[in-house]
Amino acid sequence: MKSIIKLFTLLTLVIFFSCDKDEPATTGSMEVEFDNIAIVNGIQQQLTMATPGSTTYSYTNSLGQKFNINLLRYYISAIELEATDGTVYKDVLEATASGTKGYYLIDESKPASQVIELANLPSGKYNKITFTVGVDSTGVLNGATGGALDPATSKMFWNWNSGYIALKFEGQSDASNGGVSGAETIKADNAKGMAYHIGGWKNIPGTAFVYNNKRISFDFDTDAIVDAKSSPHVHMTFDVLGLFNGHHKVDFTGNHNVHKPSDGVDIAHNMEESFSFDHIHQ
Amino acid sequence: MRLYLFAISLLLFTSCRKDDKDEASLFPQLPDYFPSPVYPLNENPISQDGFVLGKDLFNDPLLSSDNSVACSNCHVKAVAFTDPQHALSLGVDERSGIRNAPPIVNMAFMKEFMWDGGVVHLDFVPPNAIENPLEMDEKMAHVVAKLNRHSSYPGRFKKVFPTMDTITSPLLLKALAQFQLMLVSQASKYDKVRQGKSEFTTTEARGYDIYKQKCASCHTEPLFTNQQFFNNGLDTQFADEGRARITESALDLGKFKVPSLRNVVITAPYMHDGRFKDLNAVLEHYNNGVKYSATLAAQLQSGAKPGIALSVSEKADLIAFLSTLTDYELISDPRF
Repeated sequence: MKSIIKLFTLLTLVIFFSCDKDEPATTGSMEVEFDNIAIVNGIQQQLTMATPGSTTYSYTNSLGQKFNINLLRYYISAIELEATDGTVYKDVLEATASGTKGYYLIDESKPASQVIELANLPSGKYNKITFTVGVDSTGVLNGATGGALDPATSKMFWNWNSGYIALKFEGQSDASNGGVSGAETIKADNAKGMAYHIGGWKNIPGTAFVYNNKRISFDFDTDAIVDAKSSPHVHMTFDVLGLFNGHHKVDFTGNHNVHKPSDGVDIAHNMEESFSFDHIHQ
Repeated sequence: MRLYLFAISLLLFTSCRKDDKDEASLFPQLPDYFPSPVYPLNENPISQDGFVLGKDLFNDPLLSSDNSVACSNCHVKAVAFTDPQHALSLGVDERSGIRNAPPIVNMAFMKEFMWDGGVVHLDFVPPNAIENPLEMDEKMAHVVAKLNRHSSYPGRFKKVFPTMDTITSPLLLKALAQFQLMLVSQASKYDKVRQGKSEFTTTEARGYDIYKQKCASCHTEPLFTNQQFFNNGLDTQFADEGRARITESALDLGKFKVPSLRNVVITAPYMHDGRFKDLNAVLEHYNNGVKYSATLAAQLQSGAKPGIALSVSEKADLIAFLSTLTDYELISDPRF
């Protein structure tokens, strides 16, 4: 009889735990910060943002055209971290009406949005990060989504060509000849406005669709050690000047109003090369 | 002891199972010749409260900037949820849009939406009208704010989406989708004939044969569209690029989504810009008006000249058949 009772006690225990997923022995967390900067003459500067309509220009592109920045916002998603033992941690992606996981909207006007908290990471030494700039099909094809992907609050959704803008930049330049439409901070009568809405998520071979999201990887210079006691802070940078001064030199006279995938190809290429890994605080 | 054992076994059986109580989705039973819905109904189960909420939102001008235009302004139930009068949609301040308001019927089965197919999910259709300056000229965030301030909507949303804190844009769009999904047209005379409950007249039967020969490759049964994009020879210069606006490919210039022929007799005017006032004008276009251009549909180039030759009597027979596609049960259903 005693053994039977023991058996049932065991069964009861099994019931209690049977629905729990296997948890790794220990977990920790990591913060990944995206710091938007301007690299001027090789020196990193914190960004100076302008009020919409302001003709005070803090920056100059490589063609000598002065400009300022009113708005800078982009999506980071599908983060993966690779550990020194080869294991890969994939941040969970979820997009439903009640909210999202794994999609992060980095907004220069909201400092808190620039630090991504990755909780419940398996303990380990991580030495590589990979992420997507933009939102791929999982985030679009589930229909109306809340949280970071809520079209009403993110203002990053193209209604006419459903999908998310990967990166939105708006500002003014004395070289712009105006006429910008469909912008958030630039009014239609603004003669100096610029709007660059970089998007295009349909990655379908054999079609003409332009895919502008970018998947980017960086090796860390030191290992980011995650365990119950240690929560490293990984510091990434995004050089806004690189959007215009990178591989493709963007002329603000003429190319200052981008609202469809094909018009954004060059800037998407520049965007990819404007991200850098900077350092880790262990 | 036995009781303990029994209780344990029960627990074992049920402890891991998800709550699979029947959601009692209101989505109608479909005839066996219908395809399965494309819309993932399990992710937005249609409830009575959700469907009625969606219907009331559809009819509420609160969704427009000056509270003057509701979805139902351009999508009128009596004509299968399209606009019976205006070639182009009419928005706030009598602003004229750029395209003809299409019927909102059988949305559950559509892969892409709008004349150019730029919208890939039913949820994402309404913001195109709500935020278009020529249509409802509103901002989604402002609609959401108005709904949250409203005397009854917050409580009604909460009933449909119990886990929500406040109304958000995805919940608004899910509710609107619940209403639109219910607009299934499957009870026309054509359907009754297919189900053996009715018979075509001789004229209708002749029209059906002509349809099968000359129309069915694009307007394919049972939805009466193959959901593809074609240039049907309306123009040689394309003021509206159509599908090319989305694909950004010159190969798609002047192509538009093949519209369903269900309820076609009551959904004039026709074409993406509403240029044809009646079906005779449409059929005469195919008979003698198709213009050649590089992207013209191959189906319209099989004869000596572009188009589809149709005699006067063939046209009359076709219109008789097309009349059997009107779903009077749908447009008189008191639920809608």
